[in-house]
Amino acid sequence: MQSEVISSNSKDSSATFRNGVDRRTFLKVVAQAAAAVGLTGGMAAKMIAAVEKGARPSVIWLHFQECTGCTESLLRTSHPGLAEVLFDLISLDYHETLMAAAGHQAEAALEAAIKKNAGKFVLVVEGAIPTKENGIYMQIANKTGVDMLKHVAASAGAIVAIGSCASWGGVPSAAPNPTGASGINELLPDKVVVTLPGCPANPYILLGTVLQYVALGKLPELDELGRPKFAYGRVIHEHCPRRAHFDAGRFAEEFGDEGHRLGYCLYKLGCKGPMTHASCSTLHFCEVVDAWPIGLGHPCFGCTEKNVAFTMPMLKPAEIVRPTPPATYAPVTAPQGFISPIATGLGGLLVGGILGGGWMASRKLAVKEEGAAEKKADTTGTSGKE
Amino acid sequence: MDANRREILKALIGGSAVAAVATTGMPLATQAKSDKFELQPDALGLMYDATKCIGCRACMPACQNANGLKADVGGSGGLYMQPDTLNARTKNLIKLYVAPDGHERSFMKQQCMHCVDPACVSGCPMEALHKEPHGVVGWDPKLCIGCRYCQVACPFNIPKFEWDAVNPKIVKCELCRHIVGTSATEPACTKVCPTHAVIYGKRSDLLAEARRRIKERPGFYFEDRVYGETEAGGTQCLVLSHVDYSNLGLPKLGKESPAAETRKVSDFVYRGFLTPVVVYGGIVAIVRNRWKDHLKHEGHSGGSESHGEEKRA
Amino acid sequence: MTEHWERCIRLKEPLKTKPFLIFAGIAGLGLLLGLYRELTGLGYVTGLNDGYSWGLFKNWNVTALTALGSGGYAVAVIAWIFNEKRFHPIMRTAVLTSLLGYGTGMLALGFDVGRPWNFVWLADPRTWNHYSVLWEVAVCMTSYFLLALDVENMPPFLEKMYRSGNSKKKERAMKVFNFMQKTFPFGIALAFVLPSMHQSSLGSLMYLAGPRVHPLWQTPLLPLLYLLMAYILGFSCVLLVLALSAYAWNLGWDAEILGRLAQVMSWTTLIWLVVRFADLVHRGVFGLAFTFDKFSVYFLVETTLVLVPTVMLLSKTQREAPGSLFRWTFLVALGGLLYRFTPTTLAFSPLGDYRYFPSAFEILMSIGFTALAVAVFLYAVKTFAILPASQGKIAAEEALRPFDTL
Repeated sequence: MQSEVISSNSKDSSATFRNGVDRRTFLKVVAQAAAAVGLTGGMAAKMIAAVEKGARPSVIWLHFQECTGCTESLLRTSHPGLAEVLFDLISLDYHETLMAAAGHQAEAALEAAIKKNAGKFVLVVEGAIPTKENGIYMQIANKTGVDMLKHVAASAGAIVAIGSCASWGGVPSAAPNPTGASGINELLPDKVVVTLPGCPANPYILLGTVLQYVALGKLPELDELGRPKFAYGRVIHEHCPRRAHFDAGRFAEEFGDEGHRLGYCLYKLGCKGPMTHASCSTLHFCEVVDAWPIGLGHPCFGCTEKNVAFTMPMLKPAEIVRPTPPATYAPVTAPQGFISPIATGLGGLLVGGILGGGWMASRKLAVKEEGAAEKKADTTGTSGKE
Repeated sequence: MDANRREILKALIGGSAVAAVATTGMPLATQAKSDKFELQPDALGLMYDATKCIGCRACMPACQNANGLKADVGGSGGLYMQPDTLNARTKNLIKLYVAPDGHERSFMKQQCMHCVDPACVSGCPMEALHKEPHGVVGWDPKLCIGCRYCQVACPFNIPKFEWDAVNPKIVKCELCRHIVGTSATEPACTKVCPTHAVIYGKRSDLLAEARRRIKERPGFYFEDRVYGETEAGGTQCLVLSHVDYSNLGLPKLGKESPAAETRKVSDFVYRGFLTPVVVYGGIVAIVRNRWKDHLKHEGHSGGSESHGEEKRA
Repeated sequence: MTEHWERCIRLKEPLKTKPFLIFAGIAGLGLLLGLYRELTGLGYVTGLNDGYSWGLFKNWNVTALTALGSGGYAVAVIAWIFNEKRFHPIMRTAVLTSLLGYGTGMLALGFDVGRPWNFVWLADPRTWNHYSVLWEVAVCMTSYFLLALDVENMPPFLEKMYRSGNSKKKERAMKVFNFMQKTFPFGIALAFVLPSMHQSSLGSLMYLAGPRVHPLWQTPLLPLLYLLMAYILGFSCVLLVLALSAYAWNLGWDAEILGRLAQVMSWTTLIWLVVRFADLVHRGVFGLAFTFDKFSVYFLVETTLVLVPTVMLLSKTQREAPGSLFRWTFLVALGGLLYRFTPTTLAFSPLGDYRYFPSAFEILMSIGFTALAVAVFLYAVKTFAILPASQGKIAAEEALRPFDTL
C-alpha cells in the first residue's frame, strides 16, 4: 500500500519523475544523500538504477515508547522536499505518524505489507519496549509491544533500531526504569539489529543505512553494539571542531563566561564528547550549520551512549578513554626524582650517630688504656719504694 | 725463602700447562660473538630527520596502541597523554628544544637507539636484553631478574623500569618486532608519520640517505654529519638535525662502544679463564707448603704447647 | 699492654642483652619492611628512579659493605700466603665477619632485584652472558658464599657438634674436619681466587657507565683500586671488631696482632694511594680535585679520610695506643667505604636531570640488614668459640684441638 505523499516541488522538465520531481533534481538529491553518508558517486548511480528498476524496498516503521523525535528529525531533511523524494526510494508501507489510515484499516495495512514483502522488508523501530509484567505498559490494538515486535520482526529482511530508545532503552529506561524499558536488540537476541542511537538520531544515518541496503543489498559494517561504523566509529572528541582548544587547555569554565563566548572547549562544563560515539560533529541537524549541541555552545550529554545519557550527571567531567598529547611539548630534559625531607633527616641522624659512636669508642679505648697505664705506673712506683 | 720461590715457579708452570690444555677448544672471550657486537648486513633501524618533524606527535598514540601501553597522563588529571620523559608507559616521546634566546628550535623524537654493540646487552647478566634478528635490541621477560644494570649502562638512558609493579618489566622501544613481519610491515611510528620525518629501513640504506641529504644541503645539517653513525660504536637509529645534537639530549660519545671498552679491561685481566686458573694453581702450591708445616707443629700430633711461643717463633 | 691472644673462646655473657635486643629489633623491622617491599613494588618503598636505579641496597650494602666483609679474605692472605702465623687466633673472627658481611649483602641484593623469581636461571649456563661484569659478580659471589665462606666458618660449628656428647655427631664432625684438613690448600686457594675476582669486578661494574662517572673516579684501574680497597676495608673491619670486642668483653689487648694488622693495612693503603694518584696524574684530571665543586669536595673528604690516618698509622706509638689505633682505623674505614660508594652514586650523573636520596624505608631496610649482621655476630660469639682472648679471660669454652688448626 502506498502512502500518500503531497509533492511540493513539481518542476516541469522534459522528464518528470514520480510525484512530479524531475530527474535532474532527483539525481542531485540522491547524490547529496549519498555524499552526506559517505557513499561514493558510484553508489549514487547504483541507487538510481535500483530505483528505476522499480526495486523499492518496503519499509515498515513501528513506534513504541518514544517521543516521535526521530521521525520528526527525519522530516527535517527538507532540502529539497527530500522526504517526498525518498519515499520514492523506499516504499513506506506502515508509519503511524505519517500514514493517513487509522484503526482497523491501519492494522490491515500492516498485515498486508508483512505478508506481501515477507523476508524482504526493512523493519524500522522507533522507541523502547517495556518488558515489566509481560509488557502491559504499552499496548497497541490490544497487543503488547513485545508481541508486536516479535511478530513483525519474524518476517523482516533487515531490522533497524532508530534512536537511543530503540537502541538501548533511551529516556524511558532512565533510573528507576519503572516499566522495564529496553532496546529491541535485547529482545531479538538471534537477529542482527542495526542500532542507530541518538536523541534524536541523525536522520542521514538512517538514510545512509537504508540507501546502502537499496544499492548493495547489504547492511553497512557494524560495531559490536550493532552501530554502523561509518557514523559511530569515532567519539565526538576525536572529530570536534573545538578540539584544538582542548589540546591547548582553553576551556569555558562557566556558561556565559569569556571562554564560553569565545567558543572554547566545553570539557569542564561536563561535555561527554570523549565518551560518546556519534557523528554529530560532522553531520549537523536540521540542515543548519552548527545545529548540534556543541556548535550551539552546550556540552554534549552523550545521547547515543547507554551508560552516559540520562545516567551520568550533566556537569560531571567525562573520562578520556584514549588520551593524546596536548598542544604543549615535553622539554629536552625534565627534572625527575623526589627527595624526602624525612629521609634526609634520618640519614643525617644516622651519619651523625656513626661518627659520634666512633668518636666515643675511641675515647673509651684511650681512657681504658690510660687507666691501665696509671695502674702500671702505680704498681711500679710502689714496688720501687720498697 | 728459596724453597718457596721454587715452589711458586713450579706451581706457575704447572698451572699454565693445565690452563693451556683447558683452553684449547674453549672459546676465548676475545673471540667476538659477531652477531652481538658487529653490524649485521641486514640490520634495520630508524632515521629521524628533525628538520622534517612538525611535532604532530601522531607517533606517540600510535606507539601506545601498537604496544598496548596505557597512556601516561602525567600531571594532567587524566586529560592528556603527557609524559615528560620516557618511562614504563612511554616508549616513544616527542620533545621540543627551544634555544634560551629563542633563535632556534627543533623537535626531537626519543626512543631506543638500537646500538650496534649495545652497553645494555653487554651488561645484562642473563641475556634478557639481547640482539634479535636484524640487530633489534629486544627484552625477554623470562630471563630478566630486574637488576637494572641496563639502566646504569645505557649511554642514552633509554631502558625504563616499572617501579610501581610487583611484576616489573623493562620497557623500551623494540622497533615493533612483535608485529613487524606479521601484521605490519613497519613500526607504528613510521607508519603514521605524516611528513616521513622518521623512516624505517636497512641501516645501510638509511645511512646512505642521510649522507645524500647532507650532501644535497651542505652546511644545513649540524656539522654536516648524522648522529649515530659512529657514536658509541654506531647505532641503528640515526638522527639528523640542524641544531647541536647535545641540545636535543643526545650525548657526545666517542667511537668506541662502552661494551667494547669493558671487554678490553676484562680480557686484559682474565684472558679467557687463564688468569684465575693460573693464580689458583699458584696459591695451592704456596699454601701446601705452609699447611704441611702448620700440621706438623700443631696438627693431630700436636700436644698442649702454648700457641703463643710457637707462633712467635 | 702485654696480653697475648692465645686461644679462641666462647664468651660467658648472657645472650639477651640490651644491645642485642636493639640490633635484633632493628633487623626485624628491616625484614618486615622488606616483606612490604615484596608485596608492593620497589617504587613504593624506595627513592629509586630511572636515572639512579641503583641505590642504597646495591651500592651500599653490596658494593661498600661486602668490602668490609672481606676480612676473612684479606687476613687469610696475610696469614697463609705471607705466612704470618701470628694471625691464626683471629682467623675465626675474620671469617665470621666475612660470612655476615656477605650474607647480609646478598640478602639486600635479593630484596633489591625486581624479578627475583628468575634468579633460578643463574644456575643454567646456557643463559649466562659471560661478557657481563654483573654476571661475574653474581656467579662468583654465590660460589664464594656457598663453596668457601660457609666451609671456612664450619670449624666452630663442628667443634660444637663434637662437644655435644652424641657419639654419632662426634664421628660426623671428625669426618668432615678430616676432609677439610686434607683439602685445605685447595679450599683456601678458592677463598682467595673467588673474592679477588668479584671484589675487583664490583669496581668494573661502573666502568660500563663511561663518562657518566666523574673523571676523578672513572678509570680502567677501577678493578685494581676496588680490590686493594677490599683488603684495606677487610683489615679495618677485623681491627675494629676486635678492638670493640676486646674492650666490651675484656679479652685483653694483643698489641702485637693489632699493631701488625694496622701496619699491614696502612702499607696497603699507601699502595692504594700511590696507584690512585698516579692514575689521576696520568689521566691528567688531578686538577679537578681543586675546583671545589661538589665532586671535588667528595674527593678531598675521601682522600683526607684515607691519607691522614694512613700516615699516622705508620708510627709505632700511634699503633700501640688503643685509642689512636681505633680512631685512625675508623677513619680509614669511613674513607674507604666512601671510596667504594662514590663512583656508584655520588659521582654518578645519569643523562637527564635526576636527583636521588634514599627514602626513609630504604634507609631503615639498609640499616636493618647491617643490624642483622651485628645481632648474628653477638649471637655467634656467645654460642661458639670465635673471639681470641688472653689466658686471663674466663670463658665458657675454649676452642678445641684439632678444630682450631684451620
